[in-house]
Amino acid sequence: MSQKKKLTPAQKNEMFWGWLFVAPTIIGLVVLNFYPIFNTIWQSLCKTGDFGLGNTFVGLKNYSEVLGSGEFWQSLVNTFKYAIIEVPFSVAIALVLAVLLNRKMRGRSVYRTIFFMPMVAAPAAVAMVWRWLYNQQYGLLNHVFGKQAAWISDPNIAWISIGVIGVWSILGYNMVLLIGGLQEIPHDYYEAASIDGATGIRQFFTITVPLLSPTLFFIIQTRIIGALQQFDFIYMVMDKSNPAMDSVQTIVPLFYEYAFTYGNKGYGGAIVILLLIVTLILTVILQKTEKMWVYHG
Amino acid sequence: MRMKKILAAVLAAAMVFSLTACGGNSGGGSSDGGSVSSGGSGSGSSDTLEVKIWDGEQADGLRQICDEWTAQSGIKVNLQVMGWTEYFTLLEAGASGGQMPDVFWMHSTVADLYMSNNMLLNLDDYIARDNIDLGNYYSDIVDTYTYDGVHYALPKDHDTVALVYNKAIFDQYGVEYPNENWTWEDLYDAAKAITDAGEGKVYGFAAGPDANQEFYWDVIHSYGGYVISEDKKTSGMDDPKSIEAMEYVGRLAKDCMPPQSVIAETQKTPLFNSGVAAMIPLGSWGVRPLYVNENKDNYAFEVLPYCDRNGNGQADDGERVSIYAGIGWSAAASTKNPDAAWDLIKWLSSKEMQVKQSDLGVTMAGYIGASDTFSDAFPGMDISAYIKTEQEATLVPRPASKYTTQWETKTNELLVTAWNDTSRMEEMCLQIADEMNTLLAQE
Repeated sequence: MSQKKKLTPAQKNEMFWGWLFVAPTIIGLVVLNFYPIFNTIWQSLCKTGDFGLGNTFVGLKNYSEVLGSGEFWQSLVNTFKYAIIEVPFSVAIALVLAVLLNRKMRGRSVYRTIFFMPMVAAPAAVAMVWRWLYNQQYGLLNHVFGKQAAWISDPNIAWISIGVIGVWSILGYNMVLLIGGLQEIPHDYYEAASIDGATGIRQFFTITVPLLSPTLFFIIQTRIIGALQQFDFIYMVMDKSNPAMDSVQTIVPLFYEYAFTYGNKGYGGAIVILLLIVTLILTVILQKTEKMWVYHG
Repeated sequence: MRMKKILAAVLAAAMVFSLTACGGNSGGGSSDGGSVSSGGSGSGSSDTLEVKIWDGEQADGLRQICDEWTAQSGIKVNLQVMGWTEYFTLLEAGASGGQMPDVFWMHSTVADLYMSNNMLLNLDDYIARDNIDLGNYYSDIVDTYTYDGVHYALPKDHDTVALVYNKAIFDQYGVEYPNENWTWEDLYDAAKAITDAGEGKVYGFAAGPDANQEFYWDVIHSYGGYVISEDKKTSGMDDPKSIEAMEYVGRLAKDCMPPQSVIAETQKTPLFNSGVAAMIPLGSWGVRPLYVNENKDNYAFEVLPYCDRNGNGQADDGERVSIYAGIGWSAAASTKNPDAAWDLIKWLSSKEMQVKQSDLGVTMAGYIGASDTFSDAFPGMDISAYIKTEQEATLVPRPASKYTTQWETKTNELLVTAWNDTSRMEEMCLQIADEMNTLLAQE
């Protein structure tokens, strides 16, 4: 309290403008994020009525039902299966592309634009195109390879097919971030290494990768969170009657089915809160491992 | 430092959530966006009504009918179309948030849910005021939109199911065309002959686990089974007759249809249009996509086969069944302009406009006797089988209860297993009955 009195008019003025400038963000966060989060937590503890009317508190009943259903665990496994394809492949391929496209070469910006293109397209449109590429009767893939493969209906490969769409569409975004990271690395290091006789491969692993690790860490962390929330591709590509649905459906489409198709907000809320908890645990683990491999110059 | 990380984690979690919320909307995001902006302008002025429907095939015809009303009433109509699944998701979200369109389509799958929660405008006073005789409409459809004796919608249309076949394929394999004396077994024989000769390129029949109203519910009823009891309390899927019917469906799926995954990926109408399937069951609302196909000259329609339960060689009462339903024109209880909304509903369901709807080939009418011209709405393609169905078949209302969507989706999911392994059909039917009974007990 005593400190407040010491503020000069100039400082007060500054404080006013400071708050004013952050107000849009704070208001947005509160209205669009925090309120819905607490509302969802509340609903997940209720037996929700039709149209959000007449919610009755039931404690953890929804949670015990969700945790007791095979569907939830299967979806959780599927979510990780998706993430295991999307995250490592999209990062590794993007890294190679970034290194290649960071050199001086002809048509560099054209290539960069091409790889970034999927990021600009609406996920729903991307999904529709892939749905037809994968179609077993008329799809381009089967046509080109002369096969009859059920890319998105065979439970053994459907999850990989969906993962491939994920890798393809996020590749360019990861690449651009990595190029940004690469450009931060001073050229002197490479020159010095060359003079000492280090090969390109050696330079890549001892200079590029460590100095790029903060960027890599950021990408991996955000991509894991993103992959756990996969919704569009499954919702758009997989028909409700798809026989591979059980082995592909991830958590968010499951949440959508209960909360919006069935109108059971309480049960759906419990599903999504559990996803939140899983994501939090993963994030904490990642943060813990950060020191072990991220190089902070 | 630690605090900072925890904070970072919390913020990351916040992101998780906000993204989830966005994801949830993306299914119908674009159309939703459109409606929000125009909804804003609509609520401000009383000279525009927001109207929502789910079938793009009908939009042009209905726009014409609405334009005529606008010319007469001076009130604009903003007609918006969205997909079948998104429609109900958005309508439900709108109803929860108090942002419903003024006038919109109601369907038997959700009618009880909306009516029991007072989401729809009570039309009784208007009906009495304007002397609307509900006896002019199909009584099952009027009943669908009646709850505790209160009427919440006027019938927009009714539909029937018929069998459509590709004559060119029948000619190619020398199989006799379907006729009105076909039993379901005759259909099986013909479909099997075509499938066997088609060598994996052409199949006799196609219909997936989601073809309920258009296919297996009709079969179940024609075999004497039922889907849901009349008091809407118990499932009929474990009835021996229902199981017998589903075993037949399973045989058809195993011997005469493309793999279920192909039907799920491509859908039956495109399979038929591309000459992969020789026959499909088709609701009267689905005719237009056939009419714009280049093979349309080869298409012919016939009433659905029957099940000769008493073995007298002819289709008796109840042996040939077409499940039927009708959309209702309803208004939101929260509409700012109930009088105009009623006026539009009355217009859309009036005899003249019901006839016009048939003329334009939008759909058949909800008004009895106003559907005949639907037969001629597609010159060069004879679809009179849909009208013939009304005399030849027993019309059974589409099975429905308060939470139809839930058990319908469950049924669909479980039948995917049965389609792929038809030896498990009975097991799946019993499981469907179990799940349905559990859900119905909660209503």
